[in-house]
Amino acid sequence: MQASLNPNPLRSGRTKSAYRFLLDWAAIITLALCFVVFYAVKGDKFMSVNNMINILRAMSITTVFGIAATISMAPDGFDMSACTLASCSAYVFVSMYLWYGLPLWLCTIVTVFSTLIMYQLTMFLILVCKIPDMLATCALMFVHQGLGQWYIGGGAVSTGMRLPGGAAPARTSLSDAFSAIGRWPLIVIIMAACVLIAFFFLEFTKHGRFIYAMGGNRQAAKLSGINVKAYRYLAGMITAVFIAIGGILVSSRGSSAQVMCCDNYLMQSLAAVFVGRSVGGAEKPNALGTLVGSMLVSTLENGLTIMAVSYYVLPAVKGAVLALALIAAYAGKKEQ
Amino acid sequence: MEKLTLAARDVSIEFPGVKALANVNFEISTGEIRAVVGANGAGKSTLMKILAGANPSYTGEVLLNGKVIDLRSPMAAKKHGIQIVYQEVDTALIPTLSVAENVLLNHMIMEQKSPVLNWRRLRREAQRILARLHIDVNVRRLVQNLTLAQKQMVLIAKAIASRCNFLILDEPTAPLSDTETTELFGLVKHLHETENIAIIFISHRIHEVISICEKYTVMRNGETVDTTAVTESTTTKEIVEKMLGRAFDELFSKEKVEIGERVFEVSHLSDAEGKVSDVSFYVRKGEIVGIAGLVGAGKSELCKTIFGAHAKAGGEMTLHGKKLRINNPTQALQNRIALVPEERRKEGVLVNENVSLNLSAACLGDFCTASFINRSKVDGNARKYVEELGIITPSIRQYVRNLSGGNQQKVAVGKWLAADCELYIFDEPTKGVDVGAKHDIFRLINNITKQGNSVLYATCENAELLSIADRIYVLYDGKIMAELTASETDEDEIMNYAVGGGTPQVAAI
Repeated sequence: MQASLNPNPLRSGRTKSAYRFLLDWAAIITLALCFVVFYAVKGDKFMSVNNMINILRAMSITTVFGIAATISMAPDGFDMSACTLASCSAYVFVSMYLWYGLPLWLCTIVTVFSTLIMYQLTMFLILVCKIPDMLATCALMFVHQGLGQWYIGGGAVSTGMRLPGGAAPARTSLSDAFSAIGRWPLIVIIMAACVLIAFFFLEFTKHGRFIYAMGGNRQAAKLSGINVKAYRYLAGMITAVFIAIGGILVSSRGSSAQVMCCDNYLMQSLAAVFVGRSVGGAEKPNALGTLVGSMLVSTLENGLTIMAVSYYVLPAVKGAVLALALIAAYAGKKEQ
Repeated sequence: MEKLTLAARDVSIEFPGVKALANVNFEISTGEIRAVVGANGAGKSTLMKILAGANPSYTGEVLLNGKVIDLRSPMAAKKHGIQIVYQEVDTALIPTLSVAENVLLNHMIMEQKSPVLNWRRLRREAQRILARLHIDVNVRRLVQNLTLAQKQMVLIAKAIASRCNFLILDEPTAPLSDTETTELFGLVKHLHETENIAIIFISHRIHEVISICEKYTVMRNGETVDTTAVTESTTTKEIVEKMLGRAFDELFSKEKVEIGERVFEVSHLSDAEGKVSDVSFYVRKGEIVGIAGLVGAGKSELCKTIFGAHAKAGGEMTLHGKKLRINNPTQALQNRIALVPEERRKEGVLVNENVSLNLSAACLGDFCTASFINRSKVDGNARKYVEELGIITPSIRQYVRNLSGGNQQKVAVGKWLAADCELYIFDEPTKGVDVGAKHDIFRLINNITKQGNSVLYATCENAELLSIADRIYVLYDGKIMAELTASETDEDEIMNYAVGGGTPQVAAI
């Protein structure tokens, strides 16, 4: 029998810190590995400027939704209905442009405001009715789907389609400016701006830190004098703005607002946030981590497609990456 | 430096059904280190919470330099320079933020005007405060990666970062190891020498009080009994006598049970967190063995380690001479060992299920026919134990959450009686239970031994142990300090060992 009376018989210091290092940088290491492997197998077909732009473009929308999820998860919140709400934002954006002929800038403003107004309902359920975030937003998913489709009359909003009432649309085609939003380079610039703004807000303003404080220990934050409800609300409003931007990107990229056009981005964006959580030992949802997470998912998808892996197998690969990221995030935790 | 005096005058507070503090007078000035000692439930923490603004419903008045101040919120107390560091450090720190942010959180909330953070200045400022206190922690690290002792120091630094003239440390050493305690004491002494500050120190470890404090105040039954200076001649025994100050009452007279051979033995048992170290003892057939010790001495951890619910680091256990392999509760149950845990609502009963199901939960397999639950067998079992244990419930279909604390406890015990075990471990079975129900539980434990089974009974109520146990082991800091025969000892002797008096007993096996 060993006679060790050391109260903390843990791994020795060096192996432990190496282990921590691997966990903290797992996402970046995996990303680098992806690049090396794809370059080794496919050479310049993967490592070309055009393909890099492909990856950036493909990851933009996921990243923007990921940023929305990051901000809602920073105060320990959660939003399952973000992407169904984004579909509504897309309907509003395209309908304002095509049906009512508003200029592009006004369409954007109307979209952002209508999304903010819709988000009051989310905040009402969470803050006033005190329903847990997950359950409240689960219910809202259906509300958003129903309300959105009621607004567009059950069909897509695209060029050449009439209004639900049968009236003729004000515009019959999309302008170049409309389409440019969803193309390189503007879409990537918008993504970068979203990441930078969220990064600055969360890392370098006291409001961001208070939101994190609330996410880390709500009771302690409250007793320190932080108005936790006000900060949850603030986080919700910022989330809504990013949701609206995501909806606009999707409709510009698709040149229309298809029914439920954004709904599929939810799981990808959440995956990006979870992968990014542990990047650099941050241990909380953070903007740069989300960017890394989303880039990892897109790079994998892109590389595997080039390697002619069937598209229907890709979800399994994405799922496996998410699982690995979660293992990295939770492996270090003590069992409760 | 200006001398400040904080005084409580005739402070009383009542909680539903209990008068927790009765006309307490307490005074302290800056430049002093004062200990407040007393048994569990004497009102130490209650008084400190009043001073910290966390018990707003007190009567009487608190004066600062002769002027009445209103301490109805934690904010108000902080404004007057009264800071408290609770034992549960995790409730006051934000684990996902850095050390720098935690130290300066109050400053960020109250004083910082600019919405933009200057990280360099924040870190430098935090570094300055930590350096002033000789605390060596990297300000960039996340608090969740620190050790408990480091967290405690960060919390003290957080208190010092704001205005702090009165620092209350509520049992700061309870979760710390000896070296960590020494470090903390270094910090306390340093504070005492360099700052205009009064430190109020609460501890169950009397020798610590003697080593670090200048004066001590004894509390008993919600009153301050005495305030005396610590001198060269102050002894642990003297303080303990003042803390107890009364003979115990409400004796339970138990029926004699014949004690047989050794059934269960533990040798050199340690847990993975260092809360139990090198514990050896034995239990005989039909015997009730008491585990005494103060809150935080490692009693619960010992019980859970034996039961496989807490990670083991080393040591052996044998039952009837056969070596046991217990790594989880399922294996413990297979070896016919049962645990009635301390946190009964959380760990002992299924509050959202009915009495009937709870009483059969530990051995539901026995009530099944080919995996289908046999309702009539389950109900028959429930009726039997409801009657036998005197569980007061309108029906066996009643949800356990609707029963009183004492009756919930009986259900928790009844659950294991049905499982027919050989060794029953009880962890604080009388916690929060009224006197009547207490005696029912004692009778029940007595009956277990009458059937030839054995009991391990862990509690910090020493009077109870004297009346129910045959032998008592006293734990202090995870180690067994003494083995006592219940009929030949008294509360004073147990308390003396429980607060760290005497030297650890060498393992007898």
